[in-house]
Amino acid sequence: MIQFSSVSKRYPGGHEALRGVTLEIAGGEMVAVTGHSGAGKSTLLKLAAGIERASNGTVVVNGQNLGALGETALAILRRRVGFIFQDHKLLYDRSCHDNVALPLRIAGFGREEAGKRVRAALDKVGLLDRERANPVALSGGEQQRLCIARAIVNRPSILIADEPTGNLDADYARAIVDLFVSFNQVGVTVLLSTHDEASIARLGCRRVALQNGAVGA
Amino acid sequence: MTWLRLHLHALGEALRRLASQPVASALSILVLAVAIALPLVAAVALRSVGAATAHLDTDPHVNVYLALDASDDDVKRIGQALRNHPDAASVRFIPREQALAELKSTTHLAELLDTLDRNPLPHAYTVRVRTTDAPRIAKLREDWSALPKVDQVLADFEWSERLGRWVRFGDRALLGAWLLLGAAVALIVAHLIRLQVLTHREEIEVSQLVGATAADVRRPFLYHGLLQGLFAGAVALAAAGGVAAWASYELRALTPSYATELKVVFLPLMDSLAVALMAGGLGFLGAWSAVSRELRHFARPG
Repeated sequence: MIQFSSVSKRYPGGHEALRGVTLEIAGGEMVAVTGHSGAGKSTLLKLAAGIERASNGTVVVNGQNLGALGETALAILRRRVGFIFQDHKLLYDRSCHDNVALPLRIAGFGREEAGKRVRAALDKVGLLDRERANPVALSGGEQQRLCIARAIVNRPSILIADEPTGNLDADYARAIVDLFVSFNQVGVTVLLSTHDEASIARLGCRRVALQNGAVGA
Repeated sequence: MTWLRLHLHALGEALRRLASQPVASALSILVLAVAIALPLVAAVALRSVGAATAHLDTDPHVNVYLALDASDDDVKRIGQALRNHPDAASVRFIPREQALAELKSTTHLAELLDTLDRNPLPHAYTVRVRTTDAPRIAKLREDWSALPKVDQVLADFEWSERLGRWVRFGDRALLGAWLLLGAAVALIVAHLIRLQVLTHREEIEVSQLVGATAADVRRPFLYHGLLQGLFAGAVALAAAGGVAAWASYELRALTPSYATELKVVFLPLMDSLAVALMAGGLGFLGAWSAVSRELRHFARPG
């Protein structure tokens, strides 16, 4: 489902975030990427989601070589990959409903179909009663779940989450982890990064350790 | 279906943005409308001058005045000579009696003329000529002046050429004004849309992250620019129409002292539509350049 072959990523300015990473994630698999901050976890996830491009090597997602895709094709691919951002990337000038509806609006869904999907996604993360609220009014954990709702509203086959349990206390973190486990159980490929041992244990999945931009033992 | 929905959605979004800041939107549209109305008023003025002078006989013609003592035989002989000239298209004879009668009826000199004991005007020929070429006209005048009993040959149409040049000058000045103010419209819209883009920066970023293409991001801004241009074009047409009606009132009061009616000639419907569409197009272009600069690019690293 996701294949990295000798992938390197060098940012303008010379910082090398990834060095020769080779990695294969099968369809329906769940993988946790671990490592210290600065180890390259975020970069790896962004490359897999088509949010950034590799400097060297090839990234293949869903059978498509991302390096060969133009900007428009890459944008279309991003619609089929749900991404949960570490900093949420929510829009505070509109309701929770409209935040979750954004990917559907971009894809050109009709109002009725979009409304159904948005409510289903909000229900899944337990935020259906906050549909009309502004995200500002939500707690950190709720904002995280809103971000998850936006990521799953397009019913992607791949879900990628960058530190989804990052700043949450243990109870909230467990609830979020359970959500990902449930998505994985219905066949969604899940790739997430974390440095929280408790979460990894609860996920019970393969772990890939990154060290200074390379895959360790 | 999806395609149509995307466009309807972008149009709705653009209208919502216009309506969400009614004062700012109205001011922007008025600024644009003034820029469009200026050359529009100039165009109407120029068309009106063109229409007022269109009925004037601008065909090149040469007047041949005979000597006062020319006999009927001289008149016939000279007429024959003029008609036989290769550059003469048509020849009209104006007897001195008719010339006097015309002078009396078209001026206020009747009483003065009545005090004269004889007709001071000569017989004359008006010759429409086939050329406006100066050396050939000079040759004509020379030939015809040399005929016996011809007193004077006047080629009195330099003024029509001069008028033509003034009209062409006006056309050019107008084209220049259109180009300059058209550029102003595109630049103003680019600036206004750039401000819009800045206030929607986060939305643009997040939209691109969740799969919006460059075209998806641009679409509502392009409609926004297009609508601003179209509305401004419509307001400018209305304003120019108002100015035309106002000026037309003054012009009508002038009419009695001239032979033909003077009136303000507004642009025909198709031209008016073209002005509005052009304004919309300029708005579109301005918006395009403004949004493109703010897009995040996912280009391959070089």
